[in-house]
Amino acid sequence: MPDLLTIAADVDAAAASLRGVGAILSAGLVLSALALVFAALYPPARARLRTALVAHTSLLAVGEALLLWFHWRLWNAAVVIDPLTGGVTGRIAVSPWVESEKLYVWALALAVMAIVARRHRDELAPGLALAVAVLTLGAIIWGRPFTDPLPDFLGQYRGYLQALGSGSTELAMAAWQGIEGARRFYYNTWYMWVHPPLLFVSYASFVASFVATVLTIRHRRSSFERTAYGWARLGYLPLTLGMLLGFPWAIMAWQGEAWWWSGKVNMSIMMWLLYTAYLHGRLYLRRRGMWKVAVGLAALSFLTLVLTYLATYIVPGAHSVA
Amino acid sequence: MAETGPAVRAPRRGAWDFTLMALTVALLAALGVQSFVGTLYAWWAYRAQPGWEQLGYPAFVDTMNAIAGPLVIALVVVMGLCVPKRLFRRRALVAASALMLAAGVGAGVVARSVDTGLGVYLGLAALIQVAVVALTLANAGGLTYVTEGVLAKTGSGLLHLGFVLFCLVVVSLQGSRWMLPVFWSATLLLVGGSALSFWARPRPTDPSGG
Repeated sequence: MPDLLTIAADVDAAAASLRGVGAILSAGLVLSALALVFAALYPPARARLRTALVAHTSLLAVGEALLLWFHWRLWNAAVVIDPLTGGVTGRIAVSPWVESEKLYVWALALAVMAIVARRHRDELAPGLALAVAVLTLGAIIWGRPFTDPLPDFLGQYRGYLQALGSGSTELAMAAWQGIEGARRFYYNTWYMWVHPPLLFVSYASFVASFVATVLTIRHRRSSFERTAYGWARLGYLPLTLGMLLGFPWAIMAWQGEAWWWSGKVNMSIMMWLLYTAYLHGRLYLRRRGMWKVAVGLAALSFLTLVLTYLATYIVPGAHSVA
Repeated sequence: MAETGPAVRAPRRGAWDFTLMALTVALLAALGVQSFVGTLYAWWAYRAQPGWEQLGYPAFVDTMNAIAGPLVIALVVVMGLCVPKRLFRRRALVAASALMLAAGVGAGVVARSVDTGLGVYLGLAALIQVAVVALTLANAGGLTYVTEGVLAKTGSGLLHLGFVLFCLVVVSLQGSRWMLPVFWSATLLLVGGSALSFWARPRPTDPSGG
């Protein structure tokens, strides 16, 4: 059996290293986000907005690289050992978009989109920069991916190691069943490496669509509506694919349960229905008054997206991290 | 921001298309509202009623299913009616739609199962949609689409076929050995069809000049 103290020390060292560098990076990201807000809201500073956005995105990318390095160290350290045989049943592959890292990945995806956006780039930039800043501040203050990394996983894994070293077979078996189940049916499933990133790419696209929708309402120009549509259709594909990929997994994992009424799943389906209604209704944009319906549905769909994301934290269920 | 473009189709046919679209949007929105209200209620109940997950949740699920059931059935029926409209002229369209509905209701009554009725209805819709896609690809003419351009029409046809197949999986194939192959086909058709439909469509003129 591998040495439990060495495993615990390796896991703790990985988390401590992340915290050490992450505290400085977190402060830098907060300052950078505030600079974005200033450049977006103060017109004389608007000329520097793109530079601020590129700098902020670079900082976010550095942070993501740091998180990937942390996850790599966890992959190497966090093994699961069967208490009965003493053999290693496998390593845990924690994907870099769970728990405290969700908002961070969303912020990074949106920041990249804000840089590569071409159509109405200057008009969209302040809104996108504000959204990136809000997501970053939320990620650093609320999610705390660097200063309090993966609290649920690390809590469960440390508890498992303690149970394994306690000498009680009963405790060790109960803890092993929990962590082995999580490893096999949650962390190490291919689904966890495809479903969340697809959804975060779609969420980021929908933020851009919403910013263009606000511009449509404010300026009453159909070209902004087309930009909103362009981003919405870009987001709709990964949303549809991501949600569809969850379907066979849900049937197998929650066999016999009414999983579609679980809070997060339910809200996600509602969001998909509303975006479908928006894109479907938009086919008839040439009809008198239909653009108002389309814009209304676009705004409502985005509101639902925000509520869907919040549902992860406030509504109990399979997706809950509350 | 008046979006008035040239009429692309006879008014009666356009009205039928628009009615189906409006019904689809209304049903999707109704399901969306139900989901929202249901989630709000569940959120409140978890906090306000201790033990609700064990005691109240099954009743909540029954109520939600009872409300959503007719809406989902109506959505499937409306979606099925969207299929033959591409292929048939008005009189034949009414006959084809009535036949599909009659076959579905008949199968449901004989088998005493709503699922079977919907399965037969969706199976027929899928067959017609396959014909629609084949004719669209062959550029056969005579097909009615809101979108323009062969690729966009093909995309629209494929995504509707994918949606019909996905509904078939949900309604009739869960637990069957055909579930995964049909599901993956539906996923491919939905995503590929959506992409074609979105990006192959000719850009509309911009009346505002913006």
